[in-house]
Amino acid sequence: MADRVLELQGVTMAFGGLTVVDALDLHVERGEIVSVIGPNGAGKTTLFNLVTGVYRPSAGDIRFEGSSIVGLEPHAITQRGIARTFQTLRLFLNMTVRENVMAAAYGHTQAGVIRSMLRTPGMRREERAIRALAEERLGFFGERLVGYRWDQPAYSLSYANRRRLEIARATATNPRLLLLDEPAAGMNPNETLEMAELIGKLRDVGGYTILVIEHDMHVVEGISDRVVALDHGVKIAEGTFEQVATDPKVVEAYLGTGAMARKAL
Amino acid sequence: MDVFLQLTLNGLTLGSVYALIALGYSLVYGILKLLNFAHGDVFTVGAFVGFGALQLLGGVAHPAVPIWLLLVLITLAAMAVCAVLGVAIERFAYRPLRDAPRIAPLISALGVSFFLAYSLQLLFGADQRDYDAFNLGSGVLFMTGFTIPGTEVRVPLLRIVVILCAFALMVVLWLLVTRTKTGKAMTATSIDREAAAMMGINVDRVIVFAFVLGSALAGAAGVLFGLRAPFYPSLGFLVGLKGFTAAVIGGIGSIPGAMAGGLILGFAEAYTQGYVSTRWSDLIVFVILVTFMLFRPQGLFGKADIKKV
Amino acid sequence: MSDERDDTQPTGPALGKDEWVARFGANRVRRSGALGVLEQRLATVSWWAWLTLFVAVIAALPLGIESGYVRRVAFDTVVLMLLALGLNIVVGWGGLLDLGFVAFYGVGAYAYALLASDHSGIHLPSILLIPLVAVIGALAGWLVGLPSRRLLGDYLAIVTLFFFQIFLTVTNNGDNVFGASITNGPNGLLNIDPLSFFGWTIPRSTSEGLFNVAYIYVALAFFGVVYVALRFVNESRTGRAWRSLREDPLAAEMMGMPVNRLKLLAFAFGAGVAALTGTFASALNGSVFPQNFEFPLLITVYTIVILGGQGSQVGVVLGAVIVSVLLEVLRDANDARSLFYVALVLGLYGAFRASTRLVVVLGGTIVLGFVLRTVAGAIDGSWTAGTAEDAGRAAHLAAEWVIVPLEPARWLAPAAYLVLVTLVLGLTLVGGRLRLAALVPTLYLAAFVWENVLLAKPEATRYIVIGVILVGLMIVRPNGLLGEKRVEIV
Repeated sequence: MADRVLELQGVTMAFGGLTVVDALDLHVERGEIVSVIGPNGAGKTTLFNLVTGVYRPSAGDIRFEGSSIVGLEPHAITQRGIARTFQTLRLFLNMTVRENVMAAAYGHTQAGVIRSMLRTPGMRREERAIRALAEERLGFFGERLVGYRWDQPAYSLSYANRRRLEIARATATNPRLLLLDEPAAGMNPNETLEMAELIGKLRDVGGYTILVIEHDMHVVEGISDRVVALDHGVKIAEGTFEQVATDPKVVEAYLGTGAMARKAL
Repeated sequence: MDVFLQLTLNGLTLGSVYALIALGYSLVYGILKLLNFAHGDVFTVGAFVGFGALQLLGGVAHPAVPIWLLLVLITLAAMAVCAVLGVAIERFAYRPLRDAPRIAPLISALGVSFFLAYSLQLLFGADQRDYDAFNLGSGVLFMTGFTIPGTEVRVPLLRIVVILCAFALMVVLWLLVTRTKTGKAMTATSIDREAAAMMGINVDRVIVFAFVLGSALAGAAGVLFGLRAPFYPSLGFLVGLKGFTAAVIGGIGSIPGAMAGGLILGFAEAYTQGYVSTRWSDLIVFVILVTFMLFRPQGLFGKADIKKV
Repeated sequence: MSDERDDTQPTGPALGKDEWVARFGANRVRRSGALGVLEQRLATVSWWAWLTLFVAVIAALPLGIESGYVRRVAFDTVVLMLLALGLNIVVGWGGLLDLGFVAFYGVGAYAYALLASDHSGIHLPSILLIPLVAVIGALAGWLVGLPSRRLLGDYLAIVTLFFFQIFLTVTNNGDNVFGASITNGPNGLLNIDPLSFFGWTIPRSTSEGLFNVAYIYVALAFFGVVYVALRFVNESRTGRAWRSLREDPLAAEMMGMPVNRLKLLAFAFGAGVAALTGTFASALNGSVFPQNFEFPLLITVYTIVILGGQGSQVGVVLGAVIVSVLLEVLRDANDARSLFYVALVLGLYGAFRASTRLVVVLGGTIVLGFVLRTVAGAIDGSWTAGTAEDAGRAAHLAAEWVIVPLEPARWLAPAAYLVLVTLVLGLTLVGGRLRLAALVPTLYLAAFVWENVLLAKPEATRYIVIGVILVGLMIVRPNGLLGEKRVEIV
């Protein structure tokens, strides 16, 4: 109960008659890396959408740093300190790499339209700060996204670099909690390994608390302080990687059980 | 009471024409998610084609065929020409843009609308035209009819023809969409185009079919409109606007919605014209539209969209 | 093993395709040839130098020419440039379809007229009135955008288009609002004050009755200010947010940008610029009528923005100049004729370059023309006895080649026009020799239709051309002249 960054209490989400997330309790402590696993359709991305305000839960409460964020608009939730990446990349493809990151600083900067039109000294100072922030956040990825790449349009990046850019963009909102939706999806083994290291670095150096959805069990094993397994919107197991990975319910969810196999016959 | 009945009748006539137009917007929107701005101008083309066919068949004064046949023929002519036009518009102005940013086909649609309206003006002049239905068959469309019992409200044959014709077409459409294989393919395509394609549905053909149906209805609406009121090349803008307002009110993409929306609009306009002023009926329609946008943006029969991330 | 790992360390440059894509900016799509070289050279000149040069050229233009007509066109062009800049905010940066844009221009013009004319009896000084009207316009934009604030572009398009219609209804019927005349209906508002600054009135025409150049300068000054201000906004956090929401509204919202508010802001901003433009247009004209703000103007401004390239300020300004000149040229039959043949030849050259195909098509068309004309003349003299519209050298040449009947049958014009449209559309479907062969009669028919049908009605022709440009551009080059090529899904 030390310092709960995120806490979900009995969160339920139903679309029409279909319950996608069912009375889910979940919490993330400050400085933790928590992985969410589960088969397709388990409600993982829906969970992210609930936390970031895309959907409003049908029941239950979501608390961020002690106060409820249910009903807030997504941008307001982001401004409070939660940022996310997307499973299917959603970059601003026709903007440059640097602009992608600079744009995300919108929530914590002030210069209004009038000041921008007049180019007041304050606005110019802020603009320089945004630029420095963007370059710093991009610098987090070693040399992957620096130098000449700053001025390249985002669409010119490789798939792996797009994933990195999404993370850089999310960190530019100055979040305390980072939600990563399958950050290693579609990457080759080397890139995956690198991503796993990077997630650790994000926590250790960047100081972010991280909730991550991941399918690659090597990544999950390598990074997680705690693992939560979902199936059909219900939490079926929680604990260390070993505990969860050996939990019979998890194995059942992923592989189906002998009983089910017999029923199918 | 008489006034009210009379206005209701007006609203029903006008509304059924709007409903026909709204159906065209809805069909196309349902499948392509495209506001076909050119639809209003297809309607105008229909009115002009009907007019041309009327002249070819001997004109109002000496029609070469019996009146009922004349009406059928000019309506069919307008429907046929408009169907071809609709297919051409889809093929040349929209299909190349199917995978373009969403705003692209909308702008292309604006261009087509403009092209059609001014082509009509180029070829036929900007003047008003009239079917002169009053003199058709020495006035049979106006002289015949009946008086609603207990009132002095007369219902001339013309109105009955317009309303019945509009509703008959809607029923035909309804059957086509719900009972035929192509109709079911349309529904499938409107729900998920890619999935439909993977299930072996020829999406191109379905889209063409939607354009054929929608444009043919617009053509018929053009003739029905022309029988009652004068028309001119730039009419499509305003009537089209009303048509898709009707579609939005009913729930864009929904067939019963388009009918309901059309009738609501027709009644609203008729009552405003009768009880308030003819000049401000557009304003009332606008207020209805905005009210719907604020309180029920998905329209009467529409379903709220679920955001996908 | 460790050697292999080194290659893929973040510090290493050899990352295969990724590196190749990113490092060689030249791999991106670029114009080739002389145009490409020119573009690269010009790209090194700073933007304010260009702006100064451009404004200076336009400013110098009317000085040498003592023609009221030319001055008027110059003024109208600046007005179109401003409108295009305004629409570019909404469409180009915000990615929103605002079909009521011209109504806000009208709101500005009417607001100015009501607050500075004898009609209302109010005479506010321009220095106060112009900013006030811009704010009124922006507020109107805000209000109109409000009901569609949570909805997609389509709904915004409907509400704004309907608002446009309401604007026309109100201005046309505003001569009797509960008995009071507010807008004076279709007869418009007259006797509007000219601009006056600090008690110093700028007359509309010089003592010789010539168009007062000062109005062009006022318009240019506004243009310069608006251009610079918008450029600054585009490079600010607001501009970035606008472009972000154009790219992906949901991602923008997730990155902490209040998308709805930003949309409304873009919308209000565009409306404000339009209203501002309305003020001095109103002041110069001295009158406003509802028909000054109709649908064709909207389409014209859209064509400008699309032609110039959505999102590119330089592009839309150039687009405004091109479209404005084009519309003027089409007004005059003889100029329009020359334009047609020049465009035809240039278009063919663009398609075939210097090749035998070019010679075949051009030569074939010319020969076909003379043959057909001779045959037609031999059958019936009246078929070639018509005189080409408006005499001139081009007209004489054309009259020797194109069939111009003295009294064409009534069905001829629609039939020829329809066949032409069908042929042109059909040409896009076929390829190879068939297209080449079909091109010859199509070209001749095009000339025939141009001479006999289109030149006769310049008003309709102008707008048909605009419509064709709009559709054609969207299909062939949606990024316009200077817009950035956009990638949607990669």
